[in-house]
Amino acid sequence: MSFFSKSPWIFHYDASSCNGCDIEVLACLTPFYDLERFGIVNTGNPKHADILLITGSVNERNIEIVQNLYRQMPDPKVVVAVGACACSGGIFARAYNIQGGVDKVVPVDVYVPGCAARPESIIDGVVQGIAALEQKRKKTA
Amino acid sequence: MSSLISFLIAFPLLIGTLLLFTWWPKVRNLIVVASCVAVAAVSIATVIQFGNGNGVFFGLPGGVEPGAALIVSEIAMTAFVVAISIYNRRFFAPVLALIQLGIALYLELAGKLPEADPQRLFWFDRLSMVMVLVVGIIGPLICINAIGYMRDYHRSSPMVKGRRNVFFSLLFIFLAGMFGLVASNYLPMMLVFWEVTTLCSFLLIGYSRTDETIGYAFRALNMNLIGGVGFSVAIALLAEQPNGLDLAMLTSGPVSGVLLLAVALLALAGITKSAQMPFSSWLLGAMYAPSPTSALLHSSTMVKAGVFLLLRLSPAMAGSSVGYLVAFVGLLTFLFVSLVAGTEENLKKVLAYSTIGSLGLIGGCAGIGTPELVWAGVMIIIFHAMAKGLLFLTVGTLENRLYTKNIENFDALLSLMPRVSVLMLVGIAGMFIAPFGIVIAKWAAIRAFLAVPGIAGAALVTIMAFGSSLTIFYWGKLLIKIMSARRQSDYERSIERRISWYEWLSEAPLAIGVIAATLLIGPLSDNVVGPWATAAFSAAPRTFLTMDPAALLIMMAAVVFLPAVAYWSWRHPNYDHADFYASGRSTNNAHVMGMALGGIHRVSLRGYYLSGVLDGTLVFNAGTLACAATLLAMVTAGVVAR
Amino acid sequence: MTLAFYALLFVIVAPVFGGLLAGADRIVTARMQSRVGPPLLQPFYDVGKLFQKQSRLLNPIQEPLLLGHVVMMAATGAMMVSGTDLILVTFVFALASLLLVLAAGSAYSPYSFAGAERELIVLLASEPFFILMMAAICKVTDASTFGAVLASPTWVAFQLPGILIAFLMVATIKLRKSPFDISTSHHAHQELVSGLTSDMSGRLLAYVELAHWYESALLCGFAVLLFNWSIPLGIGAFLVAYAAEVLVDNVTSRAKWQLVLRSTWVATLLFAGGNVLALFVVGR
Ligand code: SF4
Repeated sequence: MSFFSKSPWIFHYDASSCNGCDIEVLACLTPFYDLERFGIVNTGNPKHADILLITGSVNERNIEIVQNLYRQMPDPKVVVAVGACACSGGIFARAYNIQGGVDKVVPVDVYVPGCAARPESIIDGVVQGIAALEQKRKKTA
Repeated sequence: MSSLISFLIAFPLLIGTLLLFTWWPKVRNLIVVASCVAVAAVSIATVIQFGNGNGVFFGLPGGVEPGAALIVSEIAMTAFVVAISIYNRRFFAPVLALIQLGIALYLELAGKLPEADPQRLFWFDRLSMVMVLVVGIIGPLICINAIGYMRDYHRSSPMVKGRRNVFFSLLFIFLAGMFGLVASNYLPMMLVFWEVTTLCSFLLIGYSRTDETIGYAFRALNMNLIGGVGFSVAIALLAEQPNGLDLAMLTSGPVSGVLLLAVALLALAGITKSAQMPFSSWLLGAMYAPSPTSALLHSSTMVKAGVFLLLRLSPAMAGSSVGYLVAFVGLLTFLFVSLVAGTEENLKKVLAYSTIGSLGLIGGCAGIGTPELVWAGVMIIIFHAMAKGLLFLTVGTLENRLYTKNIENFDALLSLMPRVSVLMLVGIAGMFIAPFGIVIAKWAAIRAFLAVPGIAGAALVTIMAFGSSLTIFYWGKLLIKIMSARRQSDYERSIERRISWYEWLSEAPLAIGVIAATLLIGPLSDNVVGPWATAAFSAAPRTFLTMDPAALLIMMAAVVFLPAVAYWSWRHPNYDHADFYASGRSTNNAHVMGMALGGIHRVSLRGYYLSGVLDGTLVFNAGTLACAATLLAMVTAGVVAR
Repeated sequence: MTLAFYALLFVIVAPVFGGLLAGADRIVTARMQSRVGPPLLQPFYDVGKLFQKQSRLLNPIQEPLLLGHVVMMAATGAMMVSGTDLILVTFVFALASLLLVLAAGSAYSPYSFAGAERELIVLLASEPFFILMMAAICKVTDASTFGAVLASPTWVAFQLPGILIAFLMVATIKLRKSPFDISTSHHAHQELVSGLTSDMSGRLLAYVELAHWYESALLCGFAVLLFNWSIPLGIGAFLVAYAAEVLVDNVTSRAKWQLVLRSTWVATLLFAGGNVLALFVVGR
């Protein structure tokens, strides 16, 4: 039996977002959406997390950080890119310091579109992330 | 018996004199090692010959009278103190020494000193047996350690003039004094041995002969001489009483009147020697002596002489106001120094505070004086002597390799010097982890204090509650530091290889001793400590060893399994390695972290200290004041009782 | 034999109790924030998942230390219910807590280390109270074991009002609730990341959780000692106290360590110490 679908812990990292998506991520935790219903916890620590939730595009200075955070998460793990910026670089894509979407530096499993991504779609993205998590566990197990 | 004890006193004295004139290091090392083996062997032989009886009395071989020898040695020691003090322009010590000599000469010349029974000069019972083993086995081990330590010491402090012949000579003379002290029954004779240990301590503290250490040496001398004066006055009072100078008879049961005053004065001597407040500062100064000195005199043996005397006096003062006040001096000391230890970064000082605290605990046990408490007191002596001796020796070893005594610099010691770390861990565990002796002793103490009625009982229990929690704090901090790990550089990997055999051969047996005593605590209690407490108080101690073997078994299992599992997983790392989390910055296990604008940074972590909530100096002074008042009350109580 | 049975019972039942309590805690907390909250069995799902995750550690001795932490926590409870002297139980309890400190501190990571040091501070803050509490319980009932205290005709809580007050305060520390959750807590977004547990993952974290369940059950056992005339009453009192802790947790923020240490010690000295003093002076 797998417990991953019952207890996916997320770690939220703000790469270089405009903070729009971040506010929506936090909105998921409010009474209105209450992510904790599904056993989801926002851990604030990659070493405890199963799902890495990244908002915003990746810039030159935080490539290293994103890679380190990803590396420090224990297996199995998935990455959910939240918002247009995280998916492709979005509105910042052509800025001088921007690398592009998160998938330029770490493998992304789920892309959540939107600018800003709506809480419903974020939750949907996390749920799909859980499915990806289950698959990865089966592969490693 | 008689000849063996005489050998234990005379032989180290002889070797000490011989070493004074041995300037050739090779020859000296040979003599030291050989005589250490001899001393240890004879100590064991003494214990074997004693068997396990209740206590025997004997005199010098051939029934020799010690009277003249005692007076002569007292005059010699006083002359020495006076000369060296005047040479150093210190005038308090000679006054105290002359007072002492004056009392002794007056008693002798006025014929006040009753004839000593030549067959009752020495008293050897299970407590003496424990002490002889402590002095006769731990002592030689520390002397052997000193060979390696002193070589490195002089290498790393070239300013200090090498007088190693004096150093080793003093160590051996000290051993002679200790053997005499713990086996004495006739009080004037005990006083002479008492002063021998005081003088050795004084000279060893001042070994490096800098202004600083000379100051500390005189502080130690002054305070110990105050105790000596107390001892002398007690002898003068006791000389008037029938059989007063016979320690065994004096302490066969509760006393009153003049005897109680004398007991209070003897307790004062015990308190100064065991460095309890208000006399604690001398032991802290003594930490400037070379580390083997700290190990031998200032933790394992000499300071134990103080609490040894208190334990001896325990049946006499139990239940009296003097006894209560002695207990309060001890426990207040325990509480205050534990608080100060939580503010201290210098490991040697932490060890010193912890030593004072443990001695205070023993003093507290002896003062209240129930079979359980004195049982606990002797247990602490045994475990503390081995564990603390070991800790001081390992700190000495570290000091000569890492050039620091600061706890904060011992990061990742376990990967830097794994063997030394393991020795230290054993020592620390011996100091405060259940079921090692001291925890059991604390437990017994709280149990017994619960039975003490009134405000005194409540205060004692409360002090114990806070004091023993504080010990967890400062040892815990040290454990964290030692246990952390990191990748080593090549230089670091070579450090441990440069430790001499002298040091390994002395530290390892002590660690083994701690472990053996832990595993054999049952037989130790049943055959040695328990019967002694029974004999001293005519009642058997009810300890949890007898009450709850299951609990003991569980804790034993923990003590055996946890290190075994830890060792196994250390050798067979079956885990995925991670780098430490630093908010996403690159890190590695050499404690290095990448910085935001390039470059790397060595991470260094500093612990929390109680200095964040209290002022160590202030607490120390407050404790000194409180204990001084208690001590004054103690002597007053004795005077009133008269 | 019955004693061994009680010990076994504790080892088996305590984690269930502790886990359910943690689940209830999360629901109650959520309701206080007008959320629905996770299912009651959520803590068990979490621990189950942690055992399925990869475990990574910084220092190989962390795992034995954490295993030791769980085993010693369980052993503390088992020893308590099977008749070990209560004062000795508090010493073993402190040792069990110390193992967690060592496991975290030996990681040599800034956040873990700070968490470990703070845990040591709260250990120092809480330990005197537990010793005093046990001493007071032993004093009023004239007993020294769990069974004997329960069998005693004295109603402990009536004679130990000060201890009860201080218990509420110190339990905040042991249950890792604000304002005393300075070393780690279950909530995200903190200045210390996860403090103590920052660098533990997978089964290592599961051990910590498991040990915490045992610890909750142990505290409940302490409450039973205080309300010794009926076991359900003791458990009930503990649950009420726990609910109060959850409320406090939700309305306060973390204190600085100095404040934690000072306030707990003052409370211990004033309420527990005063209570003990009264017992010795007035009592038999
Ligand atoms: S996707 Fe839109 S809302 Fe989200 S971070 Fe980018 S710009 Fe901001």
